[in-house]
Amino acid sequence: MSSANLIRIALGAYLLIFFSYLLGPLVVMSLTAFNSSSFPTVSPWACFSYEWFDVLFNDKHIRDGIYYSIVIGIGTVILSVSMGLAASIVLTQVWPKLRSTYYTMIIAPILIPGVVLGISTLVFWDRAGAFLGATDGSFLHGLFHNGIFLTILGQSSFIASYAMLVFVARLQRFDTGLTEAALDLGATHTQAFRKILLPFMRPAIASASVLAFLASFENYNTTTFTIIDYKTLTTVLAQKVRLGINPSISSLAFIIIVLTIFAALAFEAANRNKERKLAVRKGKASAEKSGVLPGFMTGNPAAIVLVLLAFVVIVLVGTAQKYSPEACKIQVREAKQVEIQQRIKELREARRIKDEARAAEEAKQPAQAPANAPQNSGAFGNVFAPGNLSEEEAPASDPAPSSGTGAFGNVFDPNNLNSE
Amino acid sequence: MKKKMIFSDFFKNNGVVMGCLLIGLVSFWLIFLIILPQLSMLDYSFRFNLPPAEVGGPKDVYTLSNYQHLIYGSDTTHQTYNTVDLKVFVRTIIAAMLVTIFNIFLCYPLAYFLGQSKGSGFVRLLVVLLIIPYWINEILRAFALRIIFGDSGLLNEALMFLHLTSEPIDFIRQDIALYAGLGYAYILLMLFPMYNVIESLDRNQIEAARDMGASWMRIHRRIVIPHAKPGIVSGATMVFMLSAGALAAPQILGGPSSLWFTQLVYQWFNDSLNWQQGAAYAIVLLASTIIIVLTVMKIFKVNMGDIGK
Repeated sequence: MSSANLIRIALGAYLLIFFSYLLGPLVVMSLTAFNSSSFPTVSPWACFSYEWFDVLFNDKHIRDGIYYSIVIGIGTVILSVSMGLAASIVLTQVWPKLRSTYYTMIIAPILIPGVVLGISTLVFWDRAGAFLGATDGSFLHGLFHNGIFLTILGQSSFIASYAMLVFVARLQRFDTGLTEAALDLGATHTQAFRKILLPFMRPAIASASVLAFLASFENYNTTTFTIIDYKTLTTVLAQKVRLGINPSISSLAFIIIVLTIFAALAFEAANRNKERKLAVRKGKASAEKSGVLPGFMTGNPAAIVLVLLAFVVIVLVGTAQKYSPEACKIQVREAKQVEIQQRIKELREARRIKDEARAAEEAKQPAQAPANAPQNSGAFGNVFAPGNLSEEEAPASDPAPSSGTGAFGNVFDPNNLNSE
Repeated sequence: MKKKMIFSDFFKNNGVVMGCLLIGLVSFWLIFLIILPQLSMLDYSFRFNLPPAEVGGPKDVYTLSNYQHLIYGSDTTHQTYNTVDLKVFVRTIIAAMLVTIFNIFLCYPLAYFLGQSKGSGFVRLLVVLLIIPYWINEILRAFALRIIFGDSGLLNEALMFLHLTSEPIDFIRQDIALYAGLGYAYILLMLFPMYNVIESLDRNQIEAARDMGASWMRIHRRIVIPHAKPGIVSGATMVFMLSAGALAAPQILGGPSSLWFTQLVYQWFNDSLNWQQGAAYAIVLLASTIIIVLTVMKIFKVNMGDIGK
């Protein structure tokens, strides 16, 4: 019995560690979006504030980046989904001996590092332009050095493989007899494709499109080489993060996280709803509705959470219009001032005490004083440097012991007496 | 002769219009997006970095100098090795391997737990929770770790609060943040392939082994792991390739003095504007990672067809 309990506890601890490694950083990042401190941090919490969302919405680079990311995403979806669909259909018909070679070729782009794909795309189209004799300023030269064109091609080269995998899974369940029947009844091949295969593949096309768009939207390794003059959201973010971090990036992350949670919950809720309806139709579950909740929420925790989350977001956005952290900010600034004053006072006090002590020493050993004078300036010289004050910890007692050895440590050194 | 048969069959099955469309799309993808770009990069890596006027001229000949630069540096006498770049290369490969192994051990228990507990509400919740970080931008995930591992980050504050350390630990300079970030970035690509194969394992096999008195270790060693092998190797391949080729995490989480091999490639392209040299480095990265992956697949007897399942 106890060993079973032990296993359960170990499993619980493991799950806790795994999920805090996975989700913890995202939670912390989301929190920093609401801290008014200009460095993204949670532990010295200054003020609850929405100002970083303002900064984010007024950032032209990010807005441009989002626009180009969407344009490239749409282009990539169209190209990669059609290539992936074609590749998966060919895979079902390819000569068995060629099959594994062919599969290796169309799966390989997933495994090629994104950096390599970006570089090869860039190099190839540059040389293709030179080969076709495109001169500077001509249309082809412009096209082959256009960041959007190159990025769509570079991203599609591997996103098509992802799409292909989705289609292969669906195609395995396709009954080719249907197409044959349609052909026997006099449909052309194009008609058979449009009326039989395409409707069957529609769910897979939808999920492959979503997958392709998201993969394109968040791609960095390939895009950073092929984008040239343009900017996507990811490259803008990377540049910002490398140059110096500020919480407006956290606020963007928070928005993306909330959107992702919405999408995941909506998907889960829709799935459960469908399952429940199926169960009702089969007569396995009772179709009764609970009195309080609307029908689509019965027995559907995902839907309930979804509605609650929507409510929270509405409240957040609503308060953001009215809430102002100014009062709190002034308070924090005053607190900081007081703290600084306090520290200065402590340092002064420490210096006074030390001065007195030194005066006493000097009175006792006047002969020693001149020898020590230059060392004293070294001991206290840094205490009042502006850098010390801005640091989080500069306790007045700290410099004293370390510098003390310099200022006074040698006074009682027996060697000193010997040297005299 | 045979090839003609295949083609005519193909067009008979699909019709001329659809057949052309299919063949056209697939060959555009394979030829213009995969094969030719890789070949032209390979070709490029054997050329000198010439000013535009001299391209195609008498000086535009093939050379090994770009590869020699990786091994010997700019020193033309070939007396000393280019220790800086070679060290970066070796470090990248070894670190990517360690990240992969770390991910295997971290993911296996969860994949087993998720795969073998059938569809309870809790498990569904866990899967939804797993999917959420999967769709957050790679840059933002690295940024999140940077907030945590920074000098005045949450981790340092917590350690100092608990009096485990008196001074902030520089996680970034010591590359701890980088390794944690790489492990974090691709962990789900390890988990999902493993989860998929373990889910397809018949529970009765485990029950039978347990009834016959097999120990817990033995069940995993003899039943679960052999069954999950394609998933593990497929996940490991993806994690290894992606971490060796990662660019965002090293740029954001890497220390100022330590580089990742992809960063060298990036520098050759964007800072030194020496595409030929960058292409040579990229080829070295691609070739060495592919050789490592193929070797591992051969050792564990896994086919290419298992990848991506």
